[in-house]
Amino acid sequence: MAGTYASDPEWDSIQPIPLDDGSDSGAMPLATIAYAPEYLEVTSYLRAVMAANEMSERALKLTEDVITMNPAHYTVWIYRAKILFALEKDLTEELEWLNTVSLKYLKNYQIWHHRQVLMTSKEHFPVLPATELDFLMEMFGQDSKNYHVWTYRHWLVRHFKLWDTPRETQDVDTLLTSDVRNNSAWNHRFMLRFGPRGDNEPDAGMPNSNAPPEEKGKLPVVDEDLVDMELEYAKSKIVCAPENRSPWAYARGVFRAAGRSLLEWKEFANAFVAEKLEDGKSVDVEVKSTHALEWLADVHAQEDMSADAVRMLTLLKEKYDPIRKNYWDYRINMVEGHSSQNVQVAASA
Amino acid sequence: MSRAFGESNLVVETDPIMAEPVFNRERHIKYFLRCLKTFLPGLYTSNDSNRMLLAFFAVSGLDLLGELYNKTTLEERQGYIEWIYHCQVPSGGFRGFTGTNFGLEKRTITNEAWDPANVPSTFFALVILIILGDDLSRVKRLECLQWLPKMQREDGSFGEVLGPHQKIEGGGDLRFCCFGAGTRYLLRGKDGDNLKEIEDIDVDKLVAFIEACQTYDGGIAEGPFCESHSGHTYCGIGALTFLGRLSDNHKQTALLSPGTEGFESLVKWLAARQTSELGDEEDEDEGNSEPDESQSLPDQFGKIHLEESFHKLANLPTLTTQPIKYAGFNGRCNKYADTCYSFWNTATLAMMDRLQLLDADRNRQYLLEKTQHIVGGFGKSVGEPPDLLHSYFGMVSLAFQGEAGLETVDPVLCASHRAVQHLHTLSWWK
Repeated sequence: MAGTYASDPEWDSIQPIPLDDGSDSGAMPLATIAYAPEYLEVTSYLRAVMAANEMSERALKLTEDVITMNPAHYTVWIYRAKILFALEKDLTEELEWLNTVSLKYLKNYQIWHHRQVLMTSKEHFPVLPATELDFLMEMFGQDSKNYHVWTYRHWLVRHFKLWDTPRETQDVDTLLTSDVRNNSAWNHRFMLRFGPRGDNEPDAGMPNSNAPPEEKGKLPVVDEDLVDMELEYAKSKIVCAPENRSPWAYARGVFRAAGRSLLEWKEFANAFVAEKLEDGKSVDVEVKSTHALEWLADVHAQEDMSADAVRMLTLLKEKYDPIRKNYWDYRINMVEGHSSQNVQVAASA
Repeated sequence: MSRAFGESNLVVETDPIMAEPVFNRERHIKYFLRCLKTFLPGLYTSNDSNRMLLAFFAVSGLDLLGELYNKTTLEERQGYIEWIYHCQVPSGGFRGFTGTNFGLEKRTITNEAWDPANVPSTFFALVILIILGDDLSRVKRLECLQWLPKMQREDGSFGEVLGPHQKIEGGGDLRFCCFGAGTRYLLRGKDGDNLKEIEDIDVDKLVAFIEACQTYDGGIAEGPFCESHSGHTYCGIGALTFLGRLSDNHKQTALLSPGTEGFESLVKWLAARQTSELGDEEDEDEGNSEPDESQSLPDQFGKIHLEESFHKLANLPTLTTQPIKYAGFNGRCNKYADTCYSFWNTATLAMMDRLQLLDADRNRQYLLEKTQHIVGGFGKSVGEPPDLLHSYFGMVSLAFQGEAGLETVDPVLCASHRAVQHLHTLSWWK
């Protein structure tokens, strides 16, 4: 309710600073919003305490009010964090409050950045708080692909070195069991298995990221057992839903990281493409996965059997993936017309 | 480039009851005029700090419709320009909204961090000024160029604002990289020789950071090892394009070099974003998992007989058994289509000179028949009310495809070519 601050003795000492949208100096404000009177009041007190650099309980409480009306306010969060540290507040309590705000504003990113700012304090959080991952799973219960939560979780893994903790893999498995198409969970799994770990090693979306192009994505040291396990894992998920793009992409990433050839999966991919033969000649094809067709096209191109590669790409273009007709034409052109270097690129792309 | 890219598609031609969808230009003009000249509803309060971005959508939207200079008076445009300058902070750069401003007389070295210049807002403020025909003569150009390197982190990425003690605050994501590079582009121009005294950003580090954000599936993520995402992919390629447009002798990055693995895997990833899964089937749960094939097969692949399990899998439908009329774009693998991703993906393809790879007809059908709103503007997805962001991006995606009634758009500045031409008349661009 507007007037809450004006009539509160606690705020007597503060002269609120009203919004100056420039109208007095001849400006015509753009993107004007029909603000609620309460919002105008609370932000006028926020400007006043910020101008005074006030670090106080009442200012902390005020930021909470602003945040519930406008959680995307980019300085109020920085101000709040500064007050928390200045007053030596209990950050565990702050996390609990954040939990309720996070569940209310699912799409907001500042909340998660603030959480990261708090969690960065080694003094307060020398180890991962016990309930942290449970809360993240609660968030995933609301939206299992919430980008901000996943970004935060990546950061947590790196910060607390959680790659090999059983809990990380368990949570990923749980999420993939309930939705095998959860690409965020697939991505997290890749990071757990193949992400950089060294303290001085920069973060990167692929192993060996800043290496020359031919080395990029390849692990310097390969654990072949791990690679085999991950490829089997991907296979087990592909047969659940062969049109699911995520595990196919995951497998390509694994092959690339290991420096191994897509040819290893020729037989597996072939099982999704049944040729109907009459007198030993193929008269029709039954296809169970477009991604298997593309895999075979890449395999054939690597084997220098460009006619077979083109046949696969043409099936995609004409029968199974018409939305990408122009793209498949582009790929056919690469296989047929362009230099061998480009064919290689297309094959491994 | 016509909206048909030549080939008409089979499905549309064989459907006799399909009327040609219409871009409802008059309604969109009314929608953008309303957003420009009247109060936005209170629901926008949670976007208060993004007012500069909302202002950009309103002004640029009317500009794309070719009506900015017809439907506003000179006084109004001058008034808008004054408001943008009202958002300039004394130390250079622009704030994202007037809400942080506690007044010049109260501003001191110890409290100015609470009213900082904001990286994306600075870019959008400059673009709005350019669209409105301003000559940027009152922009604190050198101060702004000096502020940019202070916004760059050790790892090459950019933050959003400078906090207390000059600390870089805000996430480390590619949005800030893009608009940092964009602001540098707008204000540096061809004036490199005269700016030798001004410290520049570390271009090589920025390029390396963006390259590190490419993931194993070819797309680009918010930061290293996050999930690939079309919005961040646009920002990554946008930043590289801004940098590339200003450098004559820089070595081209792999991400912008056709034929390299980095480039071709990104093209593939972008093409894969076009989807007929619109999330509009009645029985689907909101936001959760996408329509699914049978998952009745056992999970433990190793323990089942391959051949048996493959027999149980259904054959895929073909074009003739299941025609597809609409195809928008998603922003991540296995998500539903959303109007703004028709922009993020096609704009990126346009910057990479691969726009011809999309299915323009089906994208147009999706935008005009599924998310164009009866009152004007576009909604986020099927059946949603219009909002400024989706209305603007829906139009830009159509503009790339040559929709009649829209100006042509520069994909990286995300504004009309007319506005870009004005930029290039400024003194540091000559």
